[in-house]
Amino acid sequence: MPDAKMPDPKNPDWTKLVRERMGALGLPRDIQENVVNELAAHLQETYEAARSERIKEEEAVELALQEVNDWNVLATKIQRAKSEEEIMNHRTKSLWLPALASILAASVAMTLLQFAGVRPRLVWTGPMAMSFYWPWLAILPLCGALGAWLSRRDQGTVRSRLIAGLAPVLWLLFLAFLAEPLEIATSGLSHLRYFGYGVANWVAIPGFALLVGAIPFLWERNIPAAQPQR
Amino acid sequence: MTKRIRSKISRGSGELAILSLLAEEPLYGFEIARQIGERTGGALKFTLASLYPLLYEMEKRGWVEGRWQANQAGRDRRYYRLTPRGRKQLAPLKEEWRAFFQALNSLAGVSHA
Repeated sequence: MPDAKMPDPKNPDWTKLVRERMGALGLPRDIQENVVNELAAHLQETYEAARSERIKEEEAVELALQEVNDWNVLATKIQRAKSEEEIMNHRTKSLWLPALASILAASVAMTLLQFAGVRPRLVWTGPMAMSFYWPWLAILPLCGALGAWLSRRDQGTVRSRLIAGLAPVLWLLFLAFLAEPLEIATSGLSHLRYFGYGVANWVAIPGFALLVGAIPFLWERNIPAAQPQR
Repeated sequence: MTKRIRSKISRGSGELAILSLLAEEPLYGFEIARQIGERTGGALKFTLASLYPLLYEMEKRGWVEGRWQANQAGRDRRYYRLTPRGRKQLAPLKEEWRAFFQALNSLAGVSHA
């Protein structure tokens, strides 16, 4: 009777096998997936190399499995190798630096426009005005694209790419929430209306522009699954 | 020889082998293991279990850098390339091994050539 835990010799699913045998490594999801897919690809290559030498499918699977004596020991070694330091490095490269680049690009663009004397267009809605900085809004998709692209280049998750792309408005939102309690304390709850306008003006609309630029870089997977030889 | 010393030697030789190979061209894990086995006539052999923890350690130290790339057939592989820091590491590592074999040679007539 075939072993239920052995992969199907005709079409072994190495990704599933590695994931099951390694268990949770306690690493961030993208790093863990990277490891699983890389090890699975190695097993697939070992299997294919054996098959190319006309070794039977069952024996080829056995040969591939002999690459690892003890999966628990391997998991521990990998955990140790992928220590906090690397996780921090990865997070810095795939999230913080791209986010910073996106914020910097949006800020420089705004400064240059102001320096050039470009003024926002005010649209009055009752007692308050919405300000549209059209040239800046037109540049923002590039800033969003820059953040998301840098994050994807360094194998950031979709969430990291999105955060990096939207970082300029997330930063403004953070500052607004930080300042709002003080504004409410000095001006009362009526200030919430201004807060709403501010969020629409400086977060929602620019956020949409940034998102437009970031979208093309959100979908492509950067951590491929092990694939059989084509 | 204690297990610890043996493990250090095997680890050091592994690092040197990997750095030397990657100094020639970027390679992915399976190919690194295959070329080391082939070019040392099977004297040095890497399995998946011995190769990847070492590669990840070297990557953490900044000696090598891994990046997913598709080959011409569209197959994704994680290629490792030597970083400038890894390249700097290679010469002193070679020198250490040369000194190690010379010492063994003078002591016990063991030559690496």
